[in-house]
Amino acid sequence: MSVLIEVEGLGKTFADSSLSLSPKRPPVRAVDDVSFSVMRGETLAVVGESGCGKSTLGRLLLNLIPPTEGRVVFDGVDITRLPKGEMRRMRQRMQMVFQDPFGSLSPRRSVSNTIAEPLVSFGLVRSRTERRERVAELLAQVGLPSAFMDRKPRQFSGGQRQRIGIARAISVDPAFVVADEPVSALDVSIQAQIINLMQDLQESKGFSFLFIAHDLAVVRHIADRVAVMYLGRIVELGTKAQVYGAPHHPYTEALLSSAPQPDPDRRSDRIILSGDVPSPTRIPSGCPFRTRCPIAQPICTEERPPLAEASAGHSVACHFAEAFPITRRRSAA
Amino acid sequence: MSETVAPTGGKPLDALAEREALAPEPGLGRTIGLVLFSRPSTIVATVVIALFIAIALLAPVIAPYDPLRQSLLQINKPPSWEHWLGTDQFGRDVLSRIIYGSRNSLIFGLLSPLLAAIAGTSLGVVAGYFGGIVDRVISRLIDTLMAFPELLLAILIAAALGGSFWNIVVVLTVAFTPGFARVARASTLAVKQEPYVEAAIASGVRTPLIIIRHVVPNILAPIVVLMTLWSASAIRIEATLSFLGIGTQPPNPSWGNIIRDGLNNMFATQMPIVSGGLAITIVVLAISLIGDAVRDVLDPEISR
Amino acid sequence: MTGPLLEVKDLTVEFGPKRAPIRVVDGVSLTIHPGEAVGVVGESGSGKSITALSILRLVPEPPARVSGSVLFEGRDLMAVPKGQMHRIRGKEIGMIFQEPMSSLNPVMTIGDQIEEAILLHEKMSRAERRARVVDLLRLVGMPDPEQRLGAYPDQFSGGMRQRVMAAVAMACNPKLLIADEPTTALDVTIQAQVLALMLDIRKRFNSAIMLITHDLGVVAEVCERVVVMYAGHVFEEADTRTLFRDSRHPYTQGLLRSVPTLTSTQKRLHQIEGSVPPPGTITAGCPFRPRCSQRMDRCATEMPPLVTHGDGHRAACWATAPKAIAQGEAA
Repeated sequence: MSVLIEVEGLGKTFADSSLSLSPKRPPVRAVDDVSFSVMRGETLAVVGESGCGKSTLGRLLLNLIPPTEGRVVFDGVDITRLPKGEMRRMRQRMQMVFQDPFGSLSPRRSVSNTIAEPLVSFGLVRSRTERRERVAELLAQVGLPSAFMDRKPRQFSGGQRQRIGIARAISVDPAFVVADEPVSALDVSIQAQIINLMQDLQESKGFSFLFIAHDLAVVRHIADRVAVMYLGRIVELGTKAQVYGAPHHPYTEALLSSAPQPDPDRRSDRIILSGDVPSPTRIPSGCPFRTRCPIAQPICTEERPPLAEASAGHSVACHFAEAFPITRRRSAA
Repeated sequence: MSETVAPTGGKPLDALAEREALAPEPGLGRTIGLVLFSRPSTIVATVVIALFIAIALLAPVIAPYDPLRQSLLQINKPPSWEHWLGTDQFGRDVLSRIIYGSRNSLIFGLLSPLLAAIAGTSLGVVAGYFGGIVDRVISRLIDTLMAFPELLLAILIAAALGGSFWNIVVVLTVAFTPGFARVARASTLAVKQEPYVEAAIASGVRTPLIIIRHVVPNILAPIVVLMTLWSASAIRIEATLSFLGIGTQPPNPSWGNIIRDGLNNMFATQMPIVSGGLAITIVVLAISLIGDAVRDVLDPEISR
Repeated sequence: MTGPLLEVKDLTVEFGPKRAPIRVVDGVSLTIHPGEAVGVVGESGSGKSITALSILRLVPEPPARVSGSVLFEGRDLMAVPKGQMHRIRGKEIGMIFQEPMSSLNPVMTIGDQIEEAILLHEKMSRAERRARVVDLLRLVGMPDPEQRLGAYPDQFSGGMRQRVMAAVAMACNPKLLIADEPTTALDVTIQAQVLALMLDIRKRFNSAIMLITHDLGVVAEVCERVVVMYAGHVFEEADTRTLFRDSRHPYTQGLLRSVPTLTSTQKRLHQIEGSVPPPGTITAGCPFRPRCSQRMDRCATEMPPLVTHGDGHRAACWATAPKAIAQGEAA
């Protein structure tokens, strides 16, 4: 597999740029020195809780927001330095599925207009008939009847709207699709439908897929590799087997064990983290996780652990990743 | 892979849309219907407005007399079969003057708010969407304009440049623009945050098209409400200005100057004052009622 | 065990015109015993939240029409005059709402809000009340409770606010705590804390909990019994282990198989086709029928009654009803 996207030292700080006279809020370091690659045809999941920067990362990868540091190299092109016109054309190769099925479709435009919008913007359809044909094809690919074409979004359920959003994203045959928590707003019985749909589309069309989620269970079926984020940094990155089977970072383990599972016999020898997630305006020094980490040591306050390889393809950002393998779950206080 | 839609093909449902199912959102036709026909008061108001517009448009056809024609033999006559509202101190038929006067009110009442809406919305949307220095400059401009009460501005301009009718139309348009600009800017800021705008950017839509296609249609609701409400104000202001001698110049009739002439002649005949005042009151009331109804219907949409 | 603490019998809540009503809760019955943790599971449109609100008579009564009975310690809450309900709310039955951001008054300190709950129901001196508030905050796991009394809700995170809500709800030691999706808006690591808190509350106060959620994982962790609702009906009820291991309703079975988990070995998620019907669209027969893999002709015309499958295990389904019982009386 070759590399499609190379992310180098990416960072994004949101400063309070309002013009008000009241004291400025401290800047928010949403993404902090993130580097990784996305391979062609793979599904990479980015998982973390609120405030970890995963949504910001997704948008940075598509250059929907400009980075404060670092760069994103898409198929050899540094998209963070592209002039506006070229960037717009580049968007044909990278698309997004949004979290909010109700907000991501313009309420006053018909389904057909919404799905065809990328096709029209990039000049890929020449006539109205061609446009309608393509839309009908796309609707079929996402499992919706073509009769939906002329209706407005408000007549559809969340699951159906998400399908429409997916149809829009794949309409231009992109090489890269970012899905930002695409099933979080949906009912449980619909989530499986949408996850399966995306999995099928990814397999048949072969695009690289970045799936952002807050729940490790949701991505388990669909991901090839998983990146776990905390307060703007990647704390663990590895294949599915590595991250689920042999997690090396205490936060990953906490995520895995604290999610309630529909299994009444699963005994809770879980790690329940104490305290709250620190505010992204006041990220702890050294390792940001140290305030809640069951195995924090003095070095964690002083030195920030780099994301380093623990084994082939498996990187962890923890001073003790080597010394404490999975059995740490038992030894944690 | 097929998905079965709910049996009646009716409103599908989700965690977030549950409320909507119990209060379905009507389409444009139904919305207009709801506004105009929901209550007896709005039905009456609609009829009144329709009459008002018809009268103004058909004035040359339905006015029994030339409103400017004076007749020294017929001064200050009380209402009669020949002159339903009697005559004024120049022998002019009051009814015809009222009918023709409605034209000026119509222009002010419809044209000024409409022009102001267009100008204000454009300014507000540009300021809201682009932000930064553009926003700062436009906002200062809006704030400066807003500092002047419309009436005062009109009087100032009249004193400086002459109080002709079209001067005043321009003045009122300028005076109303900041209100629309403010509302448009605020709505644009909100809409800019909506995911579908981001989605349009990701779909490669160019900025001008984003504004026209995605922003403007979704901010229209508060603008429409404001337009109907300011329409009523505009008519009232026109009457006030022409009462003061600014705006419609005599001998051209306007409800305001009909009242003023009537005031000077109050003891001879009261019909001009009464009919002028009633005309203004009725039309302003009718527009206000419609404006309230518009706001009631569109408001749930705004506050969502 | 003594008699049930709460008995909801045939609760129906409908909206809209009388000739074509929209039933968001349709003939729901459930029972909660003292000290028991019962989960009410359902997706959107299932009517679970409205059921909870109806127990406390918080559903606005026009436009809603509520019928049925809600027996709390033998007393029918439906018969209590609305003006008297405030004596029950907070004192006998406490409620935690879903959105901790909007359920706390942003302009009142948290100390005052908890104190208000006590003030309404119990006679104590100010000093006693303050002490009680501090105790409660400590109990719900708030660090430095004395210092935080004067803080405002927006100074806390979601998890902390939820704890404050729990303190408000438990302030008068109610016998029943109704928690409506208390962890949905929270991060998973905070969820774990709040769930542990709920279990702790139950132990200390010996109060019963009615936990409303869409999350089967949460139910498996916290509850002893589960009631599954769909489109206003109760589809199945059982103790937790039985429900997860031996469900007798196609909806529950489908749900269990389609939830993404960390442990299952499926290559693909099982999915239930179709979507939840909007309230009022299915007026005859079983509302799950369009999506059900085991549907029969009878399902189109007759809503199946709850049929006993085992001790405390009932399911409303024609396909799974044991033949002998299906032909006779529904238990």
